[in-house]
Amino acid sequence: MRERILVVEDDSRLGTQIVEHLRGAGFEATWWMEGRSLMPGALPDVRLVVLDLMLPGTYGLDMLKALRGFSEVPVLILSARNDTLDKVRALKLGADDYLTKPFWPEELIERVRARLRRPALCKEGAVLELGPLRVDLHGRAVQVEGRVVELTRVEFEVLAALARRPSEAVTRQWLAEHVLDPTREGTERTLDVHVSRLRRKLAPTQCVETVWGVGYRLTPRTRA
Amino acid sequence: MKLRTRLALTAVVAVIPVVVAMLLLQRSLWEYSQEDALEAAVLARMQVERVRCEEAPETWRPRPSEEGVLPGRVVFEGQEERRIRRPRPEVTEGPEGPRPKKAGREPTFVTLFPYDSRLSSRNALAPGLTEDVRESVRAGMVARRFEQEGREVLDLWVRMPWEDGPCAFVLARSVEPPRPSRLVLVPLKDWTLLVFTVVAAVVLALGSVVRRVRVLTEEVRASARSGYAQAVSVRGQDEIADLARAFQEARAEIQARMAHQEAREQGLRDFLANTTHDVMTPLTVLQGHLSAMQRRLSQGEHVGASEVSSAMSESHYMASLVHNLAAATRLEAGAPHVQRAPVDLNDVVARVLGRHRPIARQRSIELESGVPATPVRVMGDVTLIEQAVSNVVANGVRHGHDGGHVAVVLEGRRDGGFQLRVVDDGPGIPEAERARILERGFRGNAARTRSPEGQGLGLHIAHHVARVHGWSLTLGPSAHGGLEVCFSCEGVSGEAREERRE
Repeated sequence: MRERILVVEDDSRLGTQIVEHLRGAGFEATWWMEGRSLMPGALPDVRLVVLDLMLPGTYGLDMLKALRGFSEVPVLILSARNDTLDKVRALKLGADDYLTKPFWPEELIERVRARLRRPALCKEGAVLELGPLRVDLHGRAVQVEGRVVELTRVEFEVLAALARRPSEAVTRQWLAEHVLDPTREGTERTLDVHVSRLRRKLAPTQCVETVWGVGYRLTPRTRA
Repeated sequence: MKLRTRLALTAVVAVIPVVVAMLLLQRSLWEYSQEDALEAAVLARMQVERVRCEEAPETWRPRPSEEGVLPGRVVFEGQEERRIRRPRPEVTEGPEGPRPKKAGREPTFVTLFPYDSRLSSRNALAPGLTEDVRESVRAGMVARRFEQEGREVLDLWVRMPWEDGPCAFVLARSVEPPRPSRLVLVPLKDWTLLVFTVVAAVVLALGSVVRRVRVLTEEVRASARSGYAQAVSVRGQDEIADLARAFQEARAEIQARMAHQEAREQGLRDFLANTTHDVMTPLTVLQGHLSAMQRRLSQGEHVGASEVSSAMSESHYMASLVHNLAAATRLEAGAPHVQRAPVDLNDVVARVLGRHRPIARQRSIELESGVPATPVRVMGDVTLIEQAVSNVVANGVRHGHDGGHVAVVLEGRRDGGFQLRVVDDGPGIPEAERARILERGFRGNAARTRSPEGQGLGLHIAHHVARVHGWSLTLGPSAHGGLEVCFSCEGVSGEAREERRE
């Protein structure tokens, strides 16, 4: 089912653009062209609200304040004003994110997706299923497409560290500090060697991606 | 009313009750001494007159004698002419007719009437006494004053040293010469002189005060005329000096506010001027691109991705330019315009990447970030911080080669500080130029020049933002051949760190 998003934007051109892009990205958009005083029950069933601040009718921050009285739905603020006080006030009132105009439509979609993405709850001891990869953090066992892979302690720790934050880049420095034994050769170059061995063992599946200038990332998808 | 007149009037008003009190005191002293002198004179007189008095109390009048004349101008009845005419007792007395009046007061005439111990007199001329008066005299009252025909009369009963006889009490009736007022005993001119002296002393003493107030008034007016540029002189340690000091403080406050206002207005003017100037150029370029695209489309030609990409790049540049001008204006206006609130740097990095990724993608530049699992929080101005990071990333994307890389790496430090590095594999900046870029002023022409290698306004803003937040910004070669820009903040004390995490 397509996820519904409420857009509150008074400018018709911008509103049309936003709604078109959201629909293009697979969302169902409801569009209000003016600020309304929000009462419990008056909010349509939506997964996220994109809220402009300068609105006719009710001011955006007042809507946010009223909304937070009865709902925890994520709110993404759109603001033409690049004023710190407005941003701080909005965040304090419970806004989840803000976007200053002008912005790229892709940026908006990316922000919306990021807000809707459920945080991966990675409890210690849990078994993480990431695409073809299955990492048992507690039992320290790894399978790729059902095949058991034997890893050394350091290789497993590298993989576990990446698996706890899937799709996020983890810096080489962090990995070197937290995974390698600092009393022995704990340099980033040693880390690269371990990662290279890990990749060979996981082959042909390529899940550990090098992120230029940053470090490594686990991409939980099957690559050709 | 002028200050000097007011002070003189105040002095006069203050002197009047003092003068009245002095007059009353003087009057009562005079009365007391008059009664005293009269009693003494009567007693002395009666020592020699007792026999005569007791022999013929009906007709007794004191015999003229030099001893009877009291000091001053008190004269017993029947003695007047002789005393005034000739001071010697040998001179025969007799009526001489009215005498020309001398200047000054007339003498006081005293008549004596004998009374016995029951307070009745055989002298037919003696004033009759009511029972009340008798009671009062027996109870000890000795003096009574009243007015008769405009003259002040004093009745003084003197008990004689002997108990019996028709002359046991003697009533001395003293009749004062007529006077304009009972109160004024001292000549009027003496009091006028006194009041005048006091007022003159007050006015003289206040003269310098009034003069200083006038000088201060003139200086304040001159200062106001000069737009509060001219100071007033503060002399002495009194209230006027305090007033001058208060004005100096007010003047400093006004000057500070005026300067602040002026700076704001100047900032606004500069902002408008620079915004207009700086935005018009890329806007013109953008219009050029759009026009070319429209022409090609209308002629049925294909519009290349590179043209669209250039147009997008221009509009992106304009957006960041306007943001930068706003940031520069706030930074130039000074610290009060920098807001302090908790800022999540992880979110900042995410927002900055979101903003620049569409353009990076257009140019096949890989833009990535690495942030710690636990958010790094700092106290600061979220708009300025975001702008600073955004500028560095925008530079990396703008000046990078197609297919190049830009990465943002945020790391928390063990001491509570952080390090935010932006690395790229672009052309970099020669070492000689790095320091100069950071030191250059916001408004230098070079800062606004859009040369391909120029760093524009962005890095100056990043530098100033780092400075107002107490961070350091360093530029260096990156390990990948391009530039590495590093914002770093050293750890602070435990308390501050806790505050920062709030």
